[in-house]
Amino acid sequence: MSDQKLRVGLFVTCLVDLMRPSIGFSAIRLLEAAGCEVTVPESQTCCGQPAYNSGDRMAAQSLARKVVAEFRDCAYVVVPSGSCSGMIRAHYAELLAEFPSDRAEVERLAARTYELTDFLANVAKLQRVPGKFTGTCTYHDSCSGLREMGVKAQPRALLGQVQGLALKEMATPEYCCGFGGTFAVKYGEISARIADRKCEDIASTGADAVVLGDLGCMLNIEGRLKRRGDTKTKVYHVAEMLAGMTDE
Amino acid sequence: MSARESIVARIRAARAALPAMDETERAAIEGRIALHPIGTRPAMDWQLVPRFREQCVRMSSSVDDVASMAEVPRAIARFLADMKLPMRAVVWPEIAQLDWNGTGVTVEARAARGDDLVGITGTYLAVAETGTLMLLSSPSTPAATSLLPETHIAVVPQGRIVKAMEEAWALTRSERVELPRAVNFVSGPSRTADIEGQLQLGAHGPYRVHVVVVAE
Amino acid sequence: MYGSLPRLCRGRVGVGASLASTDSQPMNAPAETFKSRAHDKLNDAKVQRAMRNFNLAGARARGIADLDNFEDIRTAAAAIRDRSLASLDLWLARFEQEATRRGTKVHWAETHADINRIVIEIARATRVKKIIKSKSMVSEESHLNDALEAEGFQVVETDLGEYIVQLAGEKPSHIIAPAIHKSRDDVADLFVQHHKTPRKTDIGELTMEARKFLREHFLSGEMGISGGNFLIAETGSLMLVTNEGNGRMTTTLPRVHVAITGIEKVLPTLEDASCILRLLTRSATGQSISNYVTLNTGPKQPGDLDGPEEMHVIIVDAGRTRLLGTDMQEALRCIRCGACMNHCPVYQNIGGHAYGWVYPGPIGSVLTPNYIGLENAIDLPNAATLCNQCGVVCPVKIPLPDLMRKLREKQVDRGLRPWQERLGLKLWAWVAKRPGIYALATRIAARLGRSMGGADRVIHRLPGNGWTEGRDMPAPAGKTFRELYAERKR
Repeated sequence: MSDQKLRVGLFVTCLVDLMRPSIGFSAIRLLEAAGCEVTVPESQTCCGQPAYNSGDRMAAQSLARKVVAEFRDCAYVVVPSGSCSGMIRAHYAELLAEFPSDRAEVERLAARTYELTDFLANVAKLQRVPGKFTGTCTYHDSCSGLREMGVKAQPRALLGQVQGLALKEMATPEYCCGFGGTFAVKYGEISARIADRKCEDIASTGADAVVLGDLGCMLNIEGRLKRRGDTKTKVYHVAEMLAGMTDE
Repeated sequence: MSARESIVARIRAARAALPAMDETERAAIEGRIALHPIGTRPAMDWQLVPRFREQCVRMSSSVDDVASMAEVPRAIARFLADMKLPMRAVVWPEIAQLDWNGTGVTVEARAARGDDLVGITGTYLAVAETGTLMLLSSPSTPAATSLLPETHIAVVPQGRIVKAMEEAWALTRSERVELPRAVNFVSGPSRTADIEGQLQLGAHGPYRVHVVVVAE
Repeated sequence: MYGSLPRLCRGRVGVGASLASTDSQPMNAPAETFKSRAHDKLNDAKVQRAMRNFNLAGARARGIADLDNFEDIRTAAAAIRDRSLASLDLWLARFEQEATRRGTKVHWAETHADINRIVIEIARATRVKKIIKSKSMVSEESHLNDALEAEGFQVVETDLGEYIVQLAGEKPSHIIAPAIHKSRDDVADLFVQHHKTPRKTDIGELTMEARKFLREHFLSGEMGISGGNFLIAETGSLMLVTNEGNGRMTTTLPRVHVAITGIEKVLPTLEDASCILRLLTRSATGQSISNYVTLNTGPKQPGDLDGPEEMHVIIVDAGRTRLLGTDMQEALRCIRCGACMNHCPVYQNIGGHAYGWVYPGPIGSVLTPNYIGLENAIDLPNAATLCNQCGVVCPVKIPLPDLMRKLREKQVDRGLRPWQERLGLKLWAWVAKRPGIYALATRIAARLGRSMGGADRVIHRLPGNGWTEGRDMPAPAGKTFRELYAERKR
């Protein structure tokens, strides 16, 4: 890498902020290990996705415009979530279509926004992955990361560098876990049933841990595993696993 | 206002947002029909006859090869005997014209009935891409002959095998004034998977389709 | 214009609401909700077993693998459908002109009631008594069988799956696999009851028995009713894509053939149809082609030994023009392959009946609110994880999750969402726009959640929240990232 550090703005995401801060710190550790200069804009809250997917366009717009403004000065915006980065990259342009004066800025933001593992693998080109883990992991492809951000090979390549970690694929890693944001709250019974298929798939690998890139899906899978009485299988965010912060 | 007029009026109204309809659009429509361009297709860089044979088998048809039309009756008789099928068939007139003497097969050129067990037809064209027979209806090529019997045997002259459906349309346009009442593309025996998704051959149409490819 | 339509949905799969236009007529309270139906299906062991068994997704994956340029063909197919929709009136007029010239009688149905009326008029005029049907989803929209039976006509569904659900007095649960929710034992029971034959449980024997009984119906049917996969403008032809052969029987043997299809199903040329066909069958069942692809162009010609004496095509609007020229138009590209439902995690678990109307799965969640009214299908656009597996597999690139999201927006705009949800979102957005208040609120929530989690750091029950109905909620860490980051910087 050149001496010039990549200036990265970390979009922590509201869920990580509230539920599992270790993911944010893992992301910082990884970005710094890749030689980036990380800033965390203080006023950030949420990308607006819950409102957008619930049909409250106005609420989503106001939050999206806030994000656009907050990250204006960052060369890159990195997000430890496929769905929040997908929101910015794949949906902001449509969401903010009613604000033509914002368009250039929105497009500029979308073009510099990356999902964490994609950024580490393809932009920052992280050389030494700090994480260590003794055991077998299986990786779940979260829907937005996979289908909106093209995240598939990147986390696997990085996990391959984690000392002691063996990756064992489940039968259908691309199959939705049933989270779907507010779907899991509004249609809890259906959502849990979909999660069941995921849990069975994870169990059939015999892996010690399931690793994935979206906290929403993590809470869903972990919650369902616990309810099923599985206290053995650990659930980690890919950032935690890569950064070696699996013990919180 | 008739139903037709109101539906068309609603379509027009919905189109108000689009560029106004004018003669250019009408011309574009006639132009597309006149040119009927072939759309994006797979590469299809295989040889016609082997591909046809292979795809027939993939669609669960059986395939036999004979050198000439004269050999067709004996080949069919052999097939019927091997499969322990009745040596009696309802056929298209063109098939009845072949020399069936001494084959032991009785052929009748007439409309097919519900209790006919074997039907023998020719084919207008055959499509290599999918192993498909293309049958055109006419007084001498009735549709039911390939449909009602449990066994359908089709005689396919090798020279009538074309690459894909698009080539079949091109040839049809050059050889026929217009489409007949029924164009039937047949690819293997009738099938269903409506009970527990389990595939069964012979739902309502033939249980088996046997294709006799004639070299000359 | 649609306000005078009859009650459309009834019986066990109906949403129990009148077909009101989206701005007229009060809705009737749904007798059953999507959620209650989904709950029943999730707890019905037979349905669950059948759904676990169901794997057309695997067949599709194998089917598209032999196209080296699937994505290019998909783009071309979407463009073909868009071309049809962009000049829909002209293509339909062109179809009508050619079809009429070839002796087909073309009818236009504005409403579902019109479909039934037209079919009944034809049946009366041609003095038929027995009607055989091959699959027509549009006739499911209009409850045509009920209407015909009420007029004294005998109606027999002949697609094996449709026949099974007809014997059971049910409705199809999938657009191409109508009886996928039934087990072989269910079918065996139905056949014993209706055929009065010894019980068989082998699927091959059951299929043979159905063949035997349906063959009698094919030979004695006086009118054949079919759907229509496509209308070809160039030649005035009806295209049918089937596997069983019942479509061919229905359009070859009876003396009257009536085809019913939507206005959106017109394609310009035979080549366009050939292009789309490569995707339709692969997307549906993984087949490179269906066993039978049939083009019917007019009635029996002089000298023909078979074929119907009359051919009718009913072109149906019944809500379709409402999507044209709007942000919903892309849904009209649909070629009814079923791939979206075959790949939908929600459909795969609850099956088709839970959706409450003719079209289940993602495409149903888009079409149903548009056809029967947004207020009559409140749950459908919301009952999806937006995983976009449907959008990825759709052969004509319908952006199904985007369309569902737009329907959610329309629900909010029209005040159709529950007030608690609307207030909750507003409140949350208000707070999230104010970082100071947000920081305080999340600080409290993080601590509250941590304490609710107890020693095992798991929340087992959140009051009034569907989440904990089926799973636990891992408790928050106790402090927010924001707090910890500030502490660390200090």
